[in-house]
Amino acid sequence: MNPFSALTPIVLLGLTPLVLMLVISFHRSHRLAVVISLVGMALPLALLAGTATSAAPPLAPLLIIDGYALFYIGLLSTATMVVVVLSYGFLERVPGNREEFYLLLTLATFGCAVLTASNHFISFFLGLEILSVSLYGLVAYLRTTRTALESGIKYLILAAASAAFLLFGMALIYADLGTMDFTAMTSVLAAKTREPSVLLLGGFGMVIIGAGFKLAVVPFHMWAPDVYQGAPTPVTAYLTTVSKGAMVALLLRYGQYGGLLDYDSVASVLAVIAVLSMFLGNLLALLQDNLKRLLAYSSIAHLGYLLVAVIAASREGSHAVTFYLVAYFITSLGIFGIITALSDERKEADEISDYRGLFWRRPWVSGALSLMLFSLAGIPLTAGFVGKFYVLTAGVLSDLWALVILLVVSSVIGLYYYLRIIITMYLSAPEDPSSPLSATRRFSLPEGLVLAGLTVLLIWFGIYPAPLLSAIQAAVGSLA
Amino acid sequence: MLTEALTTSALLFVIGTFGVLVRRNAIIMFLCIELQLNAVNLALVAFSRYVGVEGQVFVFFVMTVAAAEAAVGLAIIISIFRHYRTVNVDNFNLLKW
Amino acid sequence: MSDAYLPILLIFGVSALNAVFMVALSHILNPRRPTPQKAMPYESGMIPLGDTRARFSVKFYLVAISFIVFDLEAVFLIPWAVEMRALGWSGFVAASIFVAVLTAGLVYEWKKGGLDWD
Repeated sequence: MNPFSALTPIVLLGLTPLVLMLVISFHRSHRLAVVISLVGMALPLALLAGTATSAAPPLAPLLIIDGYALFYIGLLSTATMVVVVLSYGFLERVPGNREEFYLLLTLATFGCAVLTASNHFISFFLGLEILSVSLYGLVAYLRTTRTALESGIKYLILAAASAAFLLFGMALIYADLGTMDFTAMTSVLAAKTREPSVLLLGGFGMVIIGAGFKLAVVPFHMWAPDVYQGAPTPVTAYLTTVSKGAMVALLLRYGQYGGLLDYDSVASVLAVIAVLSMFLGNLLALLQDNLKRLLAYSSIAHLGYLLVAVIAASREGSHAVTFYLVAYFITSLGIFGIITALSDERKEADEISDYRGLFWRRPWVSGALSLMLFSLAGIPLTAGFVGKFYVLTAGVLSDLWALVILLVVSSVIGLYYYLRIIITMYLSAPEDPSSPLSATRRFSLPEGLVLAGLTVLLIWFGIYPAPLLSAIQAAVGSLA
Repeated sequence: MLTEALTTSALLFVIGTFGVLVRRNAIIMFLCIELQLNAVNLALVAFSRYVGVEGQVFVFFVMTVAAAEAAVGLAIIISIFRHYRTVNVDNFNLLKW
Repeated sequence: MSDAYLPILLIFGVSALNAVFMVALSHILNPRRPTPQKAMPYESGMIPLGDTRARFSVKFYLVAISFIVFDLEAVFLIPWAVEMRALGWSGFVAASIFVAVLTAGLVYEWKKGGLDWD
C-alpha cells in the first residue's frame, strides 16, 4: 500500500487551514469559512470510513497511521465540526474579523491529528505546539475584551513553560535511550536490561508535567478555571474535548503499549495525580458560581477518573478510556453548546443564576441540559454512566481497589453540584418581573440540530453501547 | 565535555524556570521561556554528539516553533498593553489566578 | 612548558590588578557633587532633546515578527540546499511544498496589509 494514501486524512486536515487562509485573503465571508472548515473536517472522515478496514502500515519514522490513530482522528474532527457549528452563532454577535477563528480552529485540529498519530518525539512536539500556538490565538481571540486577553496571556505563559519542561524531558529520555523514535524506544524499554536510570525517570517526570498540563490534572491545573471562564465558550468546548482527547490518545498508546506504565514509579505518580484530580476537582467545583469555572473543575475530576483506567494498563482499561472519552466529548460539547447557544449580545449565559427557572421558559433545552449533567454525574441510562461503569470494571480487573473506592467516593461529591444546577433550572423564575431574563436566545436551526443530535447520542450510547464498544475494540485492537 | 554541556544546560533551564516563576513582567517571563527552550537545545546538541543526528534535527524544529510561539505571544502581549498600558501580570486580576 | 608562560600570566595579572586599583582609587578619592548639568547625558555639548528611551512605532513590531518567522524558515531550506544533489527530485518536491505553504502565508499577510507601512 502506498504510504502516502495512508497519510491522506492528515494531509487533508493540514490543507484545510491553508485553503482557508488563501480564501480569506481574497474573499472574506463568514459562511464560506464555515463551509470550508466543515468540508475540510468531513472529507478525512469520509476517507476514514474507506481506510479503516485496511491495515495501514506505520509511516516510519514520524507518523503511525493505524486503526487506533484513525479512530481518534475521526473523533477529533467530528468534535471540531460541532465546535465550528456552535462558533458560527457565537461569532455572528462579536465585532471584528471572524474568518480567522476557523483558520486557527482547523489548524489546531491538524495539530491534534499529528499528535495522535505521532511515532517520534519530533512529531509529538510539533503536533503539540501546532495545537498550543493555535489555542493561544483562539483563547485571546476577542482581543478587545479584558477577560479574553487575561486568560490568553495566562494560557500562553503557562503552556509555553510546560512545553519547555516537556522538551527537557524529551532530551533526557533521548540521552538515556539514545533514540527519539517511539517504536525503537518501546523495544529498548521492553528489553529491560537494567534498572531505569535517574536520567530516564527524570525525563518521564518532565514529560508527565507537559502532558499533565494539557490534560489539566492536579497539580498542573491552575490555568484551567481562568482560561475556561475567560475564553470564548466554543473555544472552551474545544479545549475541554479535542485538545485533551489528543493527549489522552497519546498517553494511552505509549503509557500502556509503550511500556511506560510497567515502571512502578511512573504508575504511582499517575495514581497520585488521579486521586488529587478527582478530589480537588470535585471539591473546588462545589464552591463555584460560574458555570464555565465549575465545568473546568468538573473536567479536572473527569480526567482523574480517566487516569484510573489508564493506570489499569489492560485491554479493558484502554476500551474504558476510549469509551469514557467519547461519552465525555458528547456531554461536554452538549453543555458548552447550550451555554453558547443561550448567550446573546447582552450577556453570556455562564452564571448558574442565569439558569434559574429555565425549565419554565425552555423545557426542551433544560431537559437536554439536565440529561448532559446526569451523564457527567454518571446517572444510569446516559453514556456517562456506561463510561464510568467500564472505568470501574477496568480498575477492579486490575485490582486497583483503593483507586476504585476513591473514584466512587469522589463521584458522590460530584453529584451534589450537578444536582444543584439542575435544581436551579426547575426553581421558579426570578421574582422581579422587570429584570430582563437572561439565557433567552432562540437557537438557530444548525445549532438545534447539533444539540439534539448530541442528546440523542447521549441516550443511545447509554442504553445500547454495544456498537460503539465494538468499534472501539476494533480500533484499540490495532495497537500492538 | 558532555558533563559541562549538561551542567550549563541544566543551569540555564533552572534560571529560566525561576525567571518565569519570580518575574512579573510578561515580556521578561516570555524571554525566560525562550531561555528554557534554548537550554534544551544546548542539551540536545550535546547529546546528539554521542547518540546520533536526531538531536540536532530536533533543534531545528524547536527553534522554528520558538519563533512561532514568540510571534503569537508578542502579539497577545501587545494587545494586552493596548488595553492595560502595562504588561505586569499582577495587574491582570479580573480572573482569579 | 608551563614555566615559559608564567611571565605572561604575571603581566596579565599585574595589569589587571593595576587597572582595577586605579579605577577603584579614583572612585574612592574623588569628591562627588552631582549637579543636573553633570548628570545630563553627554551629547557632544548639545542640550539633549527628549527621552533617550523613545518608543518605537508598533509598525516596527510587525516587520520584526514577519522577519523572525520567514527568516527562521531558512533553517529548513539550508540543510536541503547543502544536500540538494543527494536528495534528488523528492527532496526538491518536498522543499517546493514547504515554500508553497510559506507563500500562502505571505499572500495572506500581503492581502491583509501587513506589508504596507502606512
